[in-house]
Formats: sequence, structure tokens, C-alpha cells
Amino acid sequence: MSGWEMFTWITVLILGLGSIAVFILFVKDIRQILKKFQREKQ
Amino acid sequence: MGAISTIDYVIIALYLSGMVGVGLWFAKKHTDFDDFFLAGRSLTTPLLITTLISTYYGIDVLFGDSQLGFTDGVVAWFGYARPTYAFFLVAAFLLAQRLREENFKSLPDILDKYYGKKTRYVGAVTSFIYSLPALSLYGFGMLGDVILGWKPIVGMLVLGGIALVYTLTGGFWAVVLTDSIQFVMMCVVLALAFPFAMNLIGGFDSMIDTLEPNYFDTMGDLSTWLIVIYASTGLSILVEPTFYQRIFAAKSYKSVRNALIIGIFIWGSYDWMITILAMSAKVGVLKGLLPGDVAPDAALLTIMVAALPAGALGLFIAGVLSTEMSTLDSYCLVAGGNVAYDIYKPALKPEATDTELIKTTRYGILLSWFLGFAMAVSFEQMLGLWVFLASILISSTLTPILLGIYIPNFRRPLAGFFSAGLGLLSTVILNIYIMIYGTFDPVDETYFIQWFGVDFLQEFIMYITIPISLIGFFAGFVLDKGGRS
Repeated sequence: MSGWEMFTWITVLILGLGSIAVFILFVKDIRQILKKFQREKQ
Repeated sequence: MGAISTIDYVIIALYLSGMVGVGLWFAKKHTDFDDFFLAGRSLTTPLLITTLISTYYGIDVLFGDSQLGFTDGVVAWFGYARPTYAFFLVAAFLLAQRLREENFKSLPDILDKYYGKKTRYVGAVTSFIYSLPALSLYGFGMLGDVILGWKPIVGMLVLGGIALVYTLTGGFWAVVLTDSIQFVMMCVVLALAFPFAMNLIGGFDSMIDTLEPNYFDTMGDLSTWLIVIYASTGLSILVEPTFYQRIFAAKSYKSVRNALIIGIFIWGSYDWMITILAMSAKVGVLKGLLPGDVAPDAALLTIMVAALPAGALGLFIAGVLSTEMSTLDSYCLVAGGNVAYDIYKPALKPEATDTELIKTTRYGILLSWFLGFAMAVSFEQMLGLWVFLASILISSTLTPILLGIYIPNFRRPLAGFFSAGLGLLSTVILNIYIMIYGTFDPVDETYFIQWFGVDFLQEFIMYITIPISLIGFFAGFVLDKGGRS
């Protein structure tokens, strides 16, 4: 496997797994924010 | 494109309906203007990562990078994309903290605080013009035409209309939430596309064997001068209104800093993947797997249609639509805020309530969308228009904002007003001059004019107008007898 290919697979992992990890953290945060949002509204 | 199956259409329709649903869900849930325009200043690092990445990358990046990757190889990443990350680092460590600490709401807010109302209005006008979604709507026209076989104007109205609806109804919360869905779609779809593309062309080694060695030359044929020129286009990040809006909406400075640092890795991976997929398309053409007459800017779409199975193609198309929707919604919202918060409130109704401001922002969003639409259907040279709009913002705001942030003694009203005004004026005059007296180059899609035996491109205008803005700043500074703002 060439250096170029290895670098490309690293970017695949960052894009795929990294974005899903960020999205999971996003969902966790947004749920808390929206709950707070609803409480303030009430 | 004729290889789209029913399942692909279902995925695209589900995605588009979901975007509208998010906007409608947030309608009337806003408590005040801060909530509508800045999501209550509560964005954490993950929320910032998703909205920063999806907003800053539109189809201009998707197809611009892929065009360069297809024609020139890895220099598309090393020479063109990579320098931008340095500006993100500058923004993360030198700019974000100062901006976040002062609780600004918009870019013109900064100009007002440092230099007064007149400079605020110049900044508001330039930010509004810059944020007009002409390029995004043009992109939707092109995507509708190429992907779905629609007339360009139908693509603009339907796809651009959906982004308009959820932005109008849901405000910044809807933008952030849709951005997050769009972010994950953009990234996952590109990551998934790589193995399919490799499978089509026979593996990565086949790409290395088939392409000319210069495709793997990191700096290609670029001279140092050209690298500096391309790198300096990243200056726009330092005065980018949607970028500022996200800094102001952050929960804390640390959230922004961490989001930018993590974001650089994702931006870098995204750019690299586009470059590699475009190079794969070139291999596909050379091996006869793809048509020989593929246009460089259509290379990415062409290889995806050939490589991806049904369902995955629908996801890819939804990802491409996401790329542009996340850009259009953010710019429309900023433009709406410029109308309501930066012009209407200070100039016409200082006592305006939050409800009135939200209503006026919605009118501003509509205004920006229709002006952008009018430009998209009227102008043929969209790249030239984009260079014009971007140079207006950079030339009029870069100098007063950066000098005002870092050197408080320079905050004199006349300095800011002269700098912003002369930057704006000189940019408009020079752009019109080059468009009238210059020649249009259809290959580079830009105007140029011969000055002193050198081809002066439209993109270079800011190398004249930024110094003019700087001279204006110091002239105003000297002439201002009233002291600090």
C-alpha cells in the first residue's frame, strides 16, 4: 500500500467515523438544549 | 444522467421533506431575536463543527476542487485547499476569542462599536450584498438540470425554495439542525464513495500506474507567486459573516476554538476525498470506463453515477443537495439579519421589539432570496459575479475590523468610515472597469485586462482595493479630530 493510499484511507476514516462521532455528540447536546428550550418556553 | 432508480428518488424526496419538516417544527418556537438569529448563544462544540463545515463548503468547493483534481491532480489539495486551513487556525487562536468576548450579534455590530453608525451601514450593505444567494441558486439550477433533468429555473425554485421555507420559519435553530443532518450526509457519502470508485477503476495502484506522474506532484506547475495569490483568497474567512455569526452564537470561546481545530481535520479529509475521486474519474476516462468528453467540473458526478449502486446514489445526490442547501440557508439568514438588526433597527426604529425584528429579518431573508434569484437568472458569468461580491466584502471590512480589534487606539469614526467606504467604492469601480474594458476568458471563467504588459485578472482586484482601504483608514485617522470612538 502506497503512502498516498494510506493517507486516503485515513481521510476515509476521519470522514466516515469522525462525522458519525460528531453527529452522536451533536444529538446528545441538542436533546439537552431542546429540553431546556421547552422548559423556558413553558 | 439517466441511472437514477426509484429508491434514489425516494431517498431524495425523504431528505427534502425532512428539511422542510425541521423548519416547520421550529416555527413560532422562538422567544426573542437572540434565539431566532443566534440560537440563544448556546452552540456547543459538536453543533459548531456541523454548522461550520456544512455552511462553509458549498458546491463551489465540491465542483471547483474536483475540477482541479481532474485536470491537475493532488495540487488541488496541496496548492489550493491546504492554505485555507492556516486561516482557520488564525481564526481559532487569534480572532475568535476577541469576537466572542464582546457579545456582538453581527459583523456590522463590530464596526458600529469601533467606528460608529456610518461605518455600520457600509458594513451592513456590503455584508448583505455578499450574502445574496445568487451562486447557490445558480448551483441548484445546475444540479436540477444535471441530476434530475429539470429546467434550471425549476431547480432554483424548488430546491432553493425548500431551503428558503425552513430558514424563514425556523431561523438559526432550523439552520443548525438541518446543517447537522447535511454535514453527516456530506461526509459519510463521500467516505462511502471511495471504495466504490476504487472498485470501478481497479484499485489505487491502478490510479498511480495510469495517471501521469505530475498528477502526484504536490505543487504541480504553480509558481510561488501563484501560491501566495491563491493562499490569500483565504483572507475572506477573517471577515466571513456566516463564520462570525457562528462565533457569536457559540456557548464559549473554547467551543469555537475546539470546533475549528477538529473541523480542520474534517475539512482537509473532505477536500482530499474530492480530489482523489476526481482523479479516479480521470483514470476512468483514460481506461474507457467513462465517456471521453466528460467536462472537468462534471467529473465527480459522472464517476459517482457509474460507481455507486442504487440507494447509495440517492444518498450521494442528497449529500450534494445538502452541500448547497446548508450554504444557502446560512447566507439568507445573515442577509435577513443585516436588513433587520443592522439597518432597520438603528436607522428607522431603535425601539423595535424582538417580535418586530424577527418579522423584519424574515422580510430580509425573502428580499435576499429574490435578489439572489434575479441575479442567478440574469448573469451568465457567475464566477465573475462571485469574485465581485467577495471582493466587495473583503475590501471594505478587512482593514477596519482587524485594525479595530487589535489596536484600540485606532478606533476613530472617520478612519473606519473612510476605510470601509473607499474599499467599497474602489472595488465597485475597478470591477465595472474590468468587466467593460477587459476580455472574458472562457477557460478560466474570469475577466482580465492588460496592464503594463501583465494579464490582470478580476480576482486580483483586492490587491489594489485592500491597500486603498488601508490608506483610507490612516487618512481618516489623521483627519479625525474627535478622538477615539
